Amino acid sequence: MSEQKKSSNPKTESQKPRIGVYICRCGGNISDVVNTDALAGKVKQLGDVAACRVETFMCSDPGQATIVEDIQKQNLNRVVVASCSPFLHELTFRTVVQRGGLNPFLYEHVNIREQDSWAHKHDPVGATSKALRMINAAVGKLHHAEPLERIRMGNHRQTLVVGGGIAGLKTAAELAGKGVPVILVEQSSSLGGRVALLARTFPREDEGSVLAKKLIAQVTDHPLVRIFTRARIERVSGFIGNFDVKIAFEPKPDASASSDPQGAGHSANAAEVYASVGTIIVATGADPYKPARGEYGFGEQPAVVSLADFLRQLATLPNGNFIWNGKRVRNVGFLHCVGSRQVEGVNPPQADGKINDYCSRYCCTAILQQALTLKMRFPDVNVFDFYQDIRTYGGHEDYYTKSSAAGVVFLRYHAEEPPVVEPGENGSALKVRVKDYLTFGEEVEVPLDLLVLGVGLVAHDIPELIDLLKLPVGADRFLQEVHPKLRPVETAVNGVLLAGTAQAPMNIEETLSAAGAAAVKAAIPLSRDAVELDPFVAEVNAEKCNGCERCLTECAYTGALFKETVQVDGESAVKARVNPGLCFGCGACVAVCPTRAIDLKGWTLDQFDAMIDGLVEAVPVEG
Amino acid sequence: MSSGNGAAMRETENHFDVVVVGGGIAGLQSALDLADQDYRVLVVEKQPSIGGRMISLSKVFPTLDCASCITTPKMSAAAHHSNITLMTYTTVDAIEPAGDNHRLTLTQMARYVDTSACIGCRQCEYVCPVEYPDPFEQGMGALRAISVPFANAIPQYAVLNPEYCIGCGACVRACASDAIRLDQQPKTLTVEAGAVVLATGFHLNSTSLKPQYNASRSKDIVSPLQVERLLAPHGPYGRVLRPSDGKIPDSVAFVLCAGSRDQSIGVPYCSRVCCMYSIKQAMLLSGALPTADITIYYMDIRAFGKGFEQFYQNAKAMGISFVKGKVARITPQPNGDLMARVEAIEEDGRVMENRHDLVVLAQGIVPELVSPERLGAAKEEDGFIRRPDPLRPAWTGREGIFVAGTAAGPKDIVDSIMEAGSAAMEASHYLTQKRATADANAPSLELEVIGAASE
Repeated sequence: MSEQKKSSNPKTESQKPRIGVYICRCGGNISDVVNTDALAGKVKQLGDVAACRVETFMCSDPGQATIVEDIQKQNLNRVVVASCSPFLHELTFRTVVQRGGLNPFLYEHVNIREQDSWAHKHDPVGATSKALRMINAAVGKLHHAEPLERIRMGNHRQTLVVGGGIAGLKTAAELAGKGVPVILVEQSSSLGGRVALLARTFPREDEGSVLAKKLIAQVTDHPLVRIFTRARIERVSGFIGNFDVKIAFEPKPDASASSDPQGAGHSANAAEVYASVGTIIVATGADPYKPARGEYGFGEQPAVVSLADFLRQLATLPNGNFIWNGKRVRNVGFLHCVGSRQVEGVNPPQADGKINDYCSRYCCTAILQQALTLKMRFPDVNVFDFYQDIRTYGGHEDYYTKSSAAGVVFLRYHAEEPPVVEPGENGSALKVRVKDYLTFGEEVEVPLDLLVLGVGLVAHDIPELIDLLKLPVGADRFLQEVHPKLRPVETAVNGVLLAGTAQAPMNIEETLSAAGAAAVKAAIPLSRDAVELDPFVAEVNAEKCNGCERCLTECAYTGALFKETVQVDGESAVKARVNPGLCFGCGACVAVCPTRAIDLKGWTLDQFDAMIDGLVEAVPVEG
Repeated sequence: MSSGNGAAMRETENHFDVVVVGGGIAGLQSALDLADQDYRVLVVEKQPSIGGRMISLSKVFPTLDCASCITTPKMSAAAHHSNITLMTYTTVDAIEPAGDNHRLTLTQMARYVDTSACIGCRQCEYVCPVEYPDPFEQGMGALRAISVPFANAIPQYAVLNPEYCIGCGACVRACASDAIRLDQQPKTLTVEAGAVVLATGFHLNSTSLKPQYNASRSKDIVSPLQVERLLAPHGPYGRVLRPSDGKIPDSVAFVLCAGSRDQSIGVPYCSRVCCMYSIKQAMLLSGALPTADITIYYMDIRAFGKGFEQFYQNAKAMGISFVKGKVARITPQPNGDLMARVEAIEEDGRVMENRHDLVVLAQGIVPELVSPERLGAAKEEDGFIRRPDPLRPAWTGREGIFVAGTAAGPKDIVDSIMEAGSAAMEASHYLTQKRATADANAPSLELEVIGAASE
């Protein structure tokens, strides 16, 4: 490889195109449908294609090495890879092309998997022809490609953390420890979130408030952390490295309520904080599911309580007899999956018309932890557990084993036949009717003095923030990551990251790990003085621009496109201009320009013309 | 050949900011997250290639992405990262404190190939006359006694297996770059590290722990890792066949908790991923074998992660049959049939003997690293690496030593990747604190406060 080092670097891209086309079999994902060998035979005949190869895994190291070697040995100056979605590997191959000594933007990615072999499984001949057309379009586009440079912008090396629960606190503590300044914004008046309210947490039986206090101690008074409570994000603009944020404050309740002139003054001069940050972490958490009135007797029967309420009260009860609301309790029930694993047609929909079809993950373990605590403290109490599947995954199984051994009675119901809670008879407050599938589907009636609803988690309602940060939301209303494995804490907005239960139900340990993962992704771009952005932004050809300002009306990104007055032949004229840092390359301006004066770098109108020509050119491939 | 190989072994260096032990998905993610912050990282991997367990999987739940498509870019990114050095086929024998740092004793095992000369051309492999059961293909399919371990291995060096080599010298004669060294010896070396991330992974416990499942008596009682290879598009047979006779199976059973949630074999915990990979394999099988009956025998279906429950419901809707019950015994019949004995808990409690022709045992997940003490960490009762501080889930309790992924307990890929990021964060936090010298270039907090903000 080294003996073939190029004489000039970078290669003179203006020379006649010599295009290398690489077709990936994707281990059969593509080649089981597309006839890759026949395809390669046709591609070789396309104009200016100097090399064409087929590999089993183009993205593997040997596949990448082939491209590098061909660029150098065969003097390629443009490269096409026809493989999977560009979402997975466009960046991979741009880097490969760069390693070969080419400008990384003299590269085109063709998706012949998601858009071809997977979509046309039953039409191999058609799929092969389509692949050829798509490659032909990319080759045509590359004819008009220019080398591009990434845009370098300044970088505000600090992070905004939204949410002062344990996820937010953990990200702040880690980032500050790493030397990254943090601005932490909490909506309520105190830090620690929901964990601070928990009496006992699993799996180590730590007190939630103690855990929260320890984390709070790590960030308060830290010179690199500023904390604002009763605060909310009022405005966000910009992009990674350069988010401008305005933080506003809720008036203090005593201030707004009182007639004290000082309070009124505070309200009138509401404080504001302005900051520029490089990355933003959303750690807004989740809420316990609130059962509807009458759901399993909730809100109607005083003996039906939610797990969170039970947990708080149990911690305060003296040992001896189990007394709840002044009454001796002998039979306690726990009901799993309240507000989780809901079934269409069985459970009524939530306010948005959807059911909660997801599992809330923490509740099985949390319920059995409480059941076990109850059994240990009050051995005479009978405990009945109504469940579908006991999901005490990993080491949490211990709670299941121990509560079984302690005498908790398990009854298994099917989601389609949820237990029915009714007023009790003969002195007991409640009666639960359930078809128990551990005893062959027999209908069982269990008299109870107390029923604890194992409520799930629901996404915290943050419509303003979702709107401000353009956060993607999943069908389950939790915030959506880009990809659960490739980019599990990143959102579609570059530089905006997710931490903790804002993303999905998690327990404390998982939340802290997720927070660490989000913190590291926030720290990485801040470890450099500048951020680099893709060069696909609009560019105005001032000679062609007639100053009609239609593009300005169309542009959706504040500051991305502006007008300036310039002198042309001694006369002043209005011309449009682009701020490349703020332009998102959406192309709306290109579409409305009457004089073809605006082009998107890397996606010029000439390139679109060439791609369309490439697609419609008749290029049949016989099976 | 590739610059990945070239950068892989810079043996002159012996000090790194962080050494990551294990080049599976967790180790690679930690290494990348540290290297991207400009820390210099060494990844030490015991196997001849990085990629760990994940690179051998077919598709992954709940998104059904192809596993190679997610693992190879991370492998490649690590191999080409200017801040990452890879050492494969190398074990970490000891980690001891050395002043402020850690000293690691490593053994580079003998590949019998000079990696500075090998170009991965596979000429040796083509002429080698000996074949043995391919470990990457879980024993199905064959590998030559000298070979590149698998198609997308990193690095692409040949390795000779001395157990099978007959010393014929064919490879030596075929090698154009004179890279084969039949007299190569293992080499011991030491490196120093500011911090360590243990990402040593897991293996599946032996089917011999459950003699009632008779895995030794039928080739068609298989491990889930075998099924992954059967389902991989580039797997050993290129399609799903019974290992014993090459027949296309028409009734497949998954036996969950076949090596965990079982006090009798010392694995009381739940292995956490078996429910989901079994559902995934069942879905993929029903695609590959549209007429086959597929049954999952389970105790509880633990579909607890994001998107998992919906995935489970989809599998039910696809017609995969879920039967609650712990399989008591699997009895191979003379005709090759496998009879699964199970109580019909959901029906009338009768004992059923159900016929299947392929049975998958969800073996338990146990730690790969037997003595974490040698590597400066302690273990829990269950054998996994201990993490004593609830607020620092990646910390082993030993100064500067962190843990990521299944080394700390069974978990899925998403959770492993999360923990890997968390371990990288805690390690970089630790290194920053340890240096303790004020970085003149370090940013300070900048903001503008107007009025009296509540803090």
